[in-house]
Parts: sequence; structure tokens; C-alpha cells
Amino acid sequence: MAHAQIAFFARLAKENTPPNRVLAGQKTLLSRTMHDIRYDDVHDEFVVNNPFAYALLVFAGGASGDDAPKRIIQGPKTTIGGSSRLEIDPVNNEILIPEGGGVVVFDRMANGDVPPKRKLNNAGSGGGIVVDPVHNLLILGSGGNNRNPGGIRIYDRTASGDTKALRTISGPKTGIIRALQMQVVPSTGWIAVTQPGESGTFDPGGTFVGFWSINDDGDVPPRWKLAGPKSTLIKPRGVALIPGHKEVIVADMSLNAVLVYYFPEIF
Amino acid sequence: MNRASMAAARQATGEPQLVAIHPLPEMDGEMCQWEPAAASANVLLTALAQDVHVSADWETKPPGNADRAPARIIKDTYPTYSAIAVNLEKDEVLLQDENLFGIKVFNRTDNTPPTASFTEPKRRIAGGGVTKMEFNCGLYVDPKTGDIYSVTNDTIDTLTVFPWNAEGVMKPKRELYTPHGTFGISVDEDAGEMYLTVQHQNSVVVYPKAAAGEDKPLRELVGPKTQLEDPHGIAIDYKNGLMFVSNHGNAIVEATDSGKFEPPSITVYPLKASGDTAPLRIIEGARTRLDWPAGMRVDSEHGELYVANDGESSIIVFKITDSGNVAPTRVIRGPKTHVLNPTDVYVDLRHNEIWAANMGNHSAVVFPRTASGDVAPLRVIRSAPIEKKALAIGNPGAVAYDRNRDEILAPN
Repeated sequence: MAHAQIAFFARLAKENTPPNRVLAGQKTLLSRTMHDIRYDDVHDEFVVNNPFAYALLVFAGGASGDDAPKRIIQGPKTTIGGSSRLEIDPVNNEILIPEGGGVVVFDRMANGDVPPKRKLNNAGSGGGIVVDPVHNLLILGSGGNNRNPGGIRIYDRTASGDTKALRTISGPKTGIIRALQMQVVPSTGWIAVTQPGESGTFDPGGTFVGFWSINDDGDVPPRWKLAGPKSTLIKPRGVALIPGHKEVIVADMSLNAVLVYYFPEIF
Repeated sequence: MNRASMAAARQATGEPQLVAIHPLPEMDGEMCQWEPAAASANVLLTALAQDVHVSADWETKPPGNADRAPARIIKDTYPTYSAIAVNLEKDEVLLQDENLFGIKVFNRTDNTPPTASFTEPKRRIAGGGVTKMEFNCGLYVDPKTGDIYSVTNDTIDTLTVFPWNAEGVMKPKRELYTPHGTFGISVDEDAGEMYLTVQHQNSVVVYPKAAAGEDKPLRELVGPKTQLEDPHGIAIDYKNGLMFVSNHGNAIVEATDSGKFEPPSITVYPLKASGDTAPLRIIEGARTRLDWPAGMRVDSEHGELYVANDGESSIIVFKITDSGNVAPTRVIRGPKTHVLNPTDVYVDLRHNEIWAANMGNHSAVVFPRTASGDVAPLRVIRSAPIEKKALAIGNPGAVAYDRNRDEILAPN
């Protein structure tokens, strides 16, 4: 992608509606390959990675133009590598990053070269990550390919060290090759997961946004599968939720588009 | 003059005007207390937990397809140009379309009138699985044969080569499997060597120009001494045997396996540099105006280096001998220029012109080679109505929702 940016669109924007504002430029320290972004509506901040500089950037919620980040987590003590995914948990004041097959956890206000407060090892991470603060769960997606498909692992939120997963959703019935950006609806316990198929393929087929329960375990097909000709989805990689309007937002990389679906079933 | 007279004398300006000032009434009740963030977090948790009805149907819900049409789609329906090249023999200009994918070909002298919606390309090479063009960002045209070299920045990891008159959906005449994250391209025609920058490994890889399939690079410039830091553009000075690379400054410190932010830079190497070779010179510092420098071209005849300066929305020109914290010789920038987030440039010495491809406004613009300041372009090739702002959504891998502002956040 030749030009890095974060564009902020009105919720009701459609087609060629221009963004309300754009964040871009050298001072922002952004790069391309932002494979996750999280908005913290309690503290009015959003967080993204810069995987080319092994950094996590925290911006003011209203940042625009070439505004600089408020805080940066970066440096050898952080153990952050090239991860491009993350989660923010405003209830427990933590930022979580899948890294090296595990998860590193920082205080939400961490800044500079600081060590993680907690580490989870050997969690098969590499895909999406989301926290359910109500049920106290940490949910991890894993990357994979057609020969070695990924899945979803559900941990206790505070799992650390070599703690094992409480439950694992994987297998041929799940249809998961890669489980990338994820969200959870704490009130109903549904997990939303993007499954864009194998990397490096123009049209991998079998892609979808799937919905599972936080209680699912094993080779379970998605309870709902958002895919098909009406959806127009090709390679969904990003998902976010608008509970107040019962909508699901999907970022599709091949369409270079953001799509919004009315999806009351999960709320 | 009393207030009534002042009001009568007030001139209508069409703008808001101060009409009166009244003191606020005295506060006699308690003011709302500022709520600390920790309290807000607890409120959030309470709110989330209040309506929990998880077990309602998760065990009984059968798997189901939920195919449905989107309520809304945010998508730029016009081309957005990431790279540019000119076929001087055929008098054509080629533009990489990174939004709808593919390459659009125009007559070099096409000029979209301000009142026209857009200029129709004379030919298109389609994006997609057959042409293997997706997030296509680098472009080179062979000056003798007119062959078109297209670099892919993400997902497909394949450089494709097409004949000059390629059109529609067609297989490339040649494919080369490249490292992930290639961006810029330059070719040493005398040596028959092709140079590519690689963002993901902070390197420059050099292939035989005719490389195909699984062919390996002849050599690679990579390592901590190179100071390659998220390299983007690459330009070659055949005459003086130099290689110029633009860097965004996203650096990796190998010794500690950690990251670091460095200033943007242009690093200069001997043309045949390989391995962990330090740059001969570095252009870097506040005076350079470098701000996400992207595509570059060298004009050996006049000893100049042209840079698409994405973040500043400018074209900046250096001497090829420049070093350190040096100001550009010329800057093309401002509202008259229509330069907006340019990510590539092309210098046409036959017609003494400098081109830029804009990611910000669906257009390519061309100026006299020595243009400077806020000047109108000689010509504009525009592919959308003039009032349509480019959304520049690219390879969106994630999305978020800001409840406070009712906004959708879309990162590239």
C-alpha cells in the first residue's frame, strides 16, 4: 500500500463520502500494515501498531492531520516484535499484543521502553485477539494455511506463563484457515471472527465473517456465517461492532472497502 | 448609541456576528463532579454486565448462513494512482491504479478540462488473479521495448511483466516471485539488472532484468550498516554509478531485536553495493522537508534527484551530490499544483517535464521540469470529478468504531 493513513468516516457514510478527518504524515509515526486498531471509548484514545518499527502507538481520540501519538510502547524491554495486532481492555486498564506465539500485556498507560506486566506463552497466537471483560476471557485467533489451518483459543483473561486454553475452536467444520481481527459481544457472548483464507492468494475462496459462542469448544461450525453473493465480501479481514445500532462493520482488503451490515441476531 | 440603534445599524455580512453579551446567572446548586477514568471503566463494566443473556440460545443455535446485503459500503469507485511511467516511443503515460487495481494508459498529452468529469483511459490492464495485480505500487517501462514492469506491494508477492500494448485481462508475459513487501523499482539497462526495495526486510534486492519464476536475486543490500529503514523509492544514477533509496524511518535495531523511529532519509550507495554496506551519504534533517518520501527518479543530465514527498504533498528536488541536512533546490507545493499525497514521480527529459502520481485526488499532474513553488500544472489527467476527494482506503486489514464521535476508523 503506497500511502499509509487512518481515515475517520461518519457511521452513515457510504460510497464516495469523504472521511471527516484523516491521520497521516511523518509525525504520526504510522506505517502501513495496521492489521488491528482499537478505540477505547472510556478514555477516548485509539491504539494501532507500527510493525515496521516494533511499536505500539496510542493517539488521542480526536487526532487528525499529522498529530503525533500521545504514548509509544517500543524498545528492547517491551519484547514487541513485528506484531500487527492488538487489543485494549479499558475495564482492566491493559493493552494486549500477540507476540512470538504468545501474548504480552502492558498497563494501559505504559509509555516508552517498559517490560510487559504479564506474558502468556505458547498460545498459538498470530491472528486476532479480543478480551471479554464480563466473562473474564482472553480469546486468541491463530494464523494458518490450507495445510495447517488456524483456530480460536479461549483462555482465562489473566492467563500467564504456560497456562493452557480453556477451550479451542478448530477443525474442518469451523472453516477457519486464519482467524484475524475479532470482536466479542459481552452481553450475549458471541464472538465475531474474520476468516480471509490463505495468505498470498488472490481469491482464496471460503472466506467469511463467522460468529461463535464463547462457550463453543471443538470442531464447531460457525453459528452464523456472513458470506455469499449478497454480502459481496471477498477477503474480510477487519470487523467491528456498533451495538447501539445492531450493526457489524467489515473491512474487506480486496474490495478496498468498508461494509456495514445490519445484524441484530448477535446483540 | 443604545442597543436598538446598534442592532439597526448592523451590516449583514452573511457571517455570525456578536449581538450581545450577558453575564451567566449565579450557580446556586452543586456542579457535576469530574469523573475519573477508573470510575468510567467500572461504569462500563457494570453496563456490559447488566444485560448479559449469554446462555439464551448458544447451545441450540444451529449453524446457519447469514448472507445478506450490506446496509452501506464505503468505497472509492474511482482509480487512485500510486505510480507513474511514460512510454516515450508511443507517447503514452501509464498509471498504477492501487484502488481498483490494474494499470490505466493515457495519451501523454491528455489534459482533463476542469469542467470534465474525467478522462477515459485509452487502454486498461485489469487487476486481479490473472494479471496478478493487487496493491500494485511500483512501475517501470522498458525504454526500448515498452515492456511494462508492475511491482506488487502486498498479498501476491509477484512482479509481472506485460508487453507495451497489453490490454484487459491477460496473463503476464513473465512473472517473478519476489520477497513480501516490495515497493520501488529501478532498472540498470546497461547492466541488465533490476532493483527492488523491500519494506518488510529493509533491503534492496537486485535481479537479472529478465528474471522469472523462482529466480533468486543476484545480490542483496541488507543489514544494520545500510541504514535502510522502511525503504520505499529507489532511483539509479547510471552516469555516476549511484543508487538512491528513500526511507520512512521505521527502523529495526538488530542488536537488541527492537524497533526505533529515525528521521526520514535518502540513503546513497555505490550502484553495485551489496551485503551490509554503509551509505556513502545520507540526506536527512529538518531542512530537507522529507515527509514519507516515496518514489524517486534521477536526472543524470542535470544532476538532480526528484522525490515524491507523500506526507508534505510536494515534489522536492535535490542535487545528486547533496548530503546531510540540506534544503531542496526546488519545491513544487501548494493548492495551485494539485499535488496531493504523491507517491511517485517521473522525469521526462525528452519533453523537459516532471510528472507526479497522486494518491490524494485521483490524478496525475505534469509540470515543466524546472517548475518551483505553488504553480499550476501544464496538464492534469484526472480520473474522477474534480470535487471527489480520494478516500485512499488501501488494503484495509482492520476497522474500529468510535462510539463518542459515531465514526468508523479505517486504517491502511
